[in-house]
Amino acid sequence: MKNQILKKILILIILSSLSILLYACNSEETLTGREDNKESPQITLDFWHHYSAQSPENEILTNVLIPKFEEENKGYKINAVSHEWADLHDKFIISTNSGMLPDVGRLDIAWLPEFEKMDILVPLDKEISEFESVSSELLENALNTAKIGDHYYALPLNTNTKILFVNKTAFNDNDIQIPSTMQEMLEVAKELSGKNPDGKQIWGLCEPALSGWNVLPYIWSFGGDITDETYTKASGYVNSPETVEAINMLKELYKADALTGFNSGDIPMTDGFGTGRYMMIIDGPWKIAELKGSYPDFQYETADVPSGKGGSVSVLGGENIGMLKGGNQEGAWAFMKFMTGSFAQEEMAKAGQIPVNKAALQSNTVKNAPFAPFLDAITKAKIRPPIATWSEVDNELSIAITKILTEDADTQKTLDELAIKLDALLADK
Amino acid sequence: METKAMKNRIQIFLLLLPGILMFSVFTIYPIVKLFVMSFFSWDLSSMHRQEFIGFQNYAAVLSDEVFLISLVNTLLYTMITVPAQMALGLLVAVLIHSLPRYQISFRVIHYLPVITPWVIASLVFKYIFNTEGMLNYFLYELLHLTNRNIAWLDSRWSGMFVIETLGIWKGVGWNMVIFLAALQGVPEELYEVADLDGCGGIRKFFYVTLPSIKNTILFAMVMLTIGGFNVFTSIKLITDGKPLHQTQTVLTWMYYKAFRNGEFGYTAALSFIVVVALIFLATLQFRIMKNRNEED
Amino acid sequence: MKKRQTFRVGKLLCYLTLIIGGIVSILPMTYMLGTSLRPNGALYEYPPRFFPDLDTITIENYIYVLTKEKFYINFLNSIIVSVSTIILAAIISTSLAFCIARFRFPGRNLLFGLVIGTMIIPGTTLIITQFELASFLGVINKLTGLIPFYVAWVIPFSTFMIKGFIENIPREFDQAAYIDGGSVFTVFFNIAIPLASPAIASVSIFNFLTAWEEFQWALTVLNDNAKRTFPIAISGFLGQHQFTQWGYVFAMSVISLIPVILIFILFQKYFITGLTTGGLKG
Repeated sequence: MKNQILKKILILIILSSLSILLYACNSEETLTGREDNKESPQITLDFWHHYSAQSPENEILTNVLIPKFEEENKGYKINAVSHEWADLHDKFIISTNSGMLPDVGRLDIAWLPEFEKMDILVPLDKEISEFESVSSELLENALNTAKIGDHYYALPLNTNTKILFVNKTAFNDNDIQIPSTMQEMLEVAKELSGKNPDGKQIWGLCEPALSGWNVLPYIWSFGGDITDETYTKASGYVNSPETVEAINMLKELYKADALTGFNSGDIPMTDGFGTGRYMMIIDGPWKIAELKGSYPDFQYETADVPSGKGGSVSVLGGENIGMLKGGNQEGAWAFMKFMTGSFAQEEMAKAGQIPVNKAALQSNTVKNAPFAPFLDAITKAKIRPPIATWSEVDNELSIAITKILTEDADTQKTLDELAIKLDALLADK
Repeated sequence: METKAMKNRIQIFLLLLPGILMFSVFTIYPIVKLFVMSFFSWDLSSMHRQEFIGFQNYAAVLSDEVFLISLVNTLLYTMITVPAQMALGLLVAVLIHSLPRYQISFRVIHYLPVITPWVIASLVFKYIFNTEGMLNYFLYELLHLTNRNIAWLDSRWSGMFVIETLGIWKGVGWNMVIFLAALQGVPEELYEVADLDGCGGIRKFFYVTLPSIKNTILFAMVMLTIGGFNVFTSIKLITDGKPLHQTQTVLTWMYYKAFRNGEFGYTAALSFIVVVALIFLATLQFRIMKNRNEED
Repeated sequence: MKKRQTFRVGKLLCYLTLIIGGIVSILPMTYMLGTSLRPNGALYEYPPRFFPDLDTITIENYIYVLTKEKFYINFLNSIIVSVSTIILAAIISTSLAFCIARFRFPGRNLLFGLVIGTMIIPGTTLIITQFELASFLGVINKLTGLIPFYVAWVIPFSTFMIKGFIENIPREFDQAAYIDGGSVFTVFFNIAIPLASPAIASVSIFNFLTAWEEFQWALTVLNDNAKRTFPIAISGFLGQHQFTQWGYVFAMSVISLIPVILIFILFQKYFITGLTTGGLKG
């Protein structure tokens, strides 16, 4: 028995040495091209992003943009690492503690106030002389997502918003028009809900969650809001008659079994939409690629978010590109300039990323892109409150709305209580 | 003058050294640091300067409604999954132990859930228990046992039920292995004596087997309790604390507070409160088993 | 006659229970395997099925995952980390266990108590402070940032199990070696290690599993794609905005289970023996 064990241990050791050898060889492979040209000292810039590893965006980044940047800026190498969205956020938080931040990062605009509070972002308008000229080439709307207080802490990189997607086949079959007002949407959703010929439940509307990103378009289009313009007060806003009306519409839809998607056991949004279980969704440009990938034969149409008293106001999302303190500022700025320049922006547009560069927006690529329907909505979209306590505010908001919908809580009362909680949080920021 | 004893002492020291070093640096130090930090105000805005605030963090944790919910969930999870997986594991072990053939195949098959990564297992369970998933398909469509699709994952208790089922499913194999080992250590003579006394199978089990593996049972209980408190991935992937944070457990809540809100002082305090709870539970289990030991 | 019949029925029930148990144990895996053989996107088909029709079986997911993503590098990384972990852990915990089991030295009880006691602290809670430590040591974004931490994590359990096993080795063997003029090292290398090898083997299996599927810490420490371990590569397919390509995820998962299952089957024999009387004797 002793011999057998020894034999097995030997096998293990051989296997592991082989693996180490293979690994070493592989590393050589990936490293050539980095260490070869020693003519000029190479500075490596770390760039963290959350382009999903298999996405076209990442392909373009790796195969087109980075090589071009390195060609135009010899002396710099970009080490781009992809993380999943939520993981990237967590990584920034944990890396701050020990100064292990990258030089440049692609940051969700919602993270900016938080990161600014952590004091890890470089205020560009203060420290970079070229800031004025570069930023003037970018959409003001988007640029404002990088402004906190009086300073700009990043450049916008891409923008997006959400618009309405509807199931074309179902609408045609039932002879229904795409709703253009909230009232119409309410009726259409209710009408289309019920059981389909196979006996499966159909919902008129799907919202995958009940946080700000999901409910704000409704609230804003109804003419309501959750805070005032200075983001310091919630009372009188989150519990205003208009906001109450918006939430009540959602409540009515939920009670009529016309709205779902935010429960843990629900069919995921894309799958539900693509298989005809959800009739309408409100989502961003990424949905186009997803549907094409998984449900290529599915027919749908898009339109602006239905309008209410406040017009048709969607929520502005997007990503910024920011410079982290303690990194190589010159290199980071060079890369940021490149990524917000018209070439990179147009290339990324091919992957469905909506540019913020004004010149790129005029290009044919963009005009013919599948996300053309979003361009108009972007100009009218609003940003979520750029405050450091946003995630807690969002959490409270989500809890309140969930209670109203699933526990049938009184809308006005719950929102009144929410207003008090939010006032405290907003004062804290 | 190097005596033999001296040489031996040095050797013992050398043997202990790597372990102690590794352990102190990589385990003890982070624990101590965390403990110290739990008394400081430590969050996003105080990344570089932290203030000493005494027990404030602990007070914040204990008065947090969601923390209490998470503690209840965790305790219930532990109290349900631990006995269940132990009982099932013991059952399977006893059955396999009594077989003349196919022992290995059954062992391997039952151990498969243990080596399935939590991520995969959670995803599969999520699919099975989805409101339009496998289980409902069987219950509602095929067998007509229920009158509608049950929303397993949408509320606190049924959500926790699913996660507990996953925990039990995943743990049975581990218990089986531990108990198989223990069963092999029970001396044959004890069974023969029981036979002579005219004991049937079931009586033999209760009067010979169980007492003989008492220490194993205690060991499994303590290890599984610690494991129960560590439940994390399954919650995160299946319900993510929803609805309304009703399905949070102590670790998922800690993670949420740390990385969503950056409240590190709070989470440090939370960690140690959990440690205290576990020490209490472990001691309790020891006492109970020791008492039983003495009774024999 | 009656006893024989009940015996047969008992046996039948026994097999039946085990077969049912076996099916329940395998079912999720079957589903995972089935989905990996299905084209991507067909996850929420109705009626749901565990295994796809024979004519829709495809191995395109496997091909994609093996060729497109260069993720055999991640696979290798995981192997390197896991194997290094079990080797180091085996050495360290056996040395510790041996000393604690056989000798009295000042601080012995404290050491053992600490080693066991730290098992109570959930690993996730230490991520932040461990990260600070890791960056201080300059091992961020390196595989060497994973290995020592994994080793430290598995030491308590391994030491405990091996210690128990060693305690059952008769002291006479040690005495014999000492009388023959052997030193502590002699006893350690020639007696303790060989005799405790079943226990060492079985804890190594546990440790391999722990290192192999660990996700949280690896995600925190590793930045570069080329350094990532397998579980992280798998999670890379869990896309942004809620959308996931399950076919790829499950194909990768199936691949990642192969070494684990292989090791378990190969070392099965030692697995159970190593746990016997390993600190668990009643």
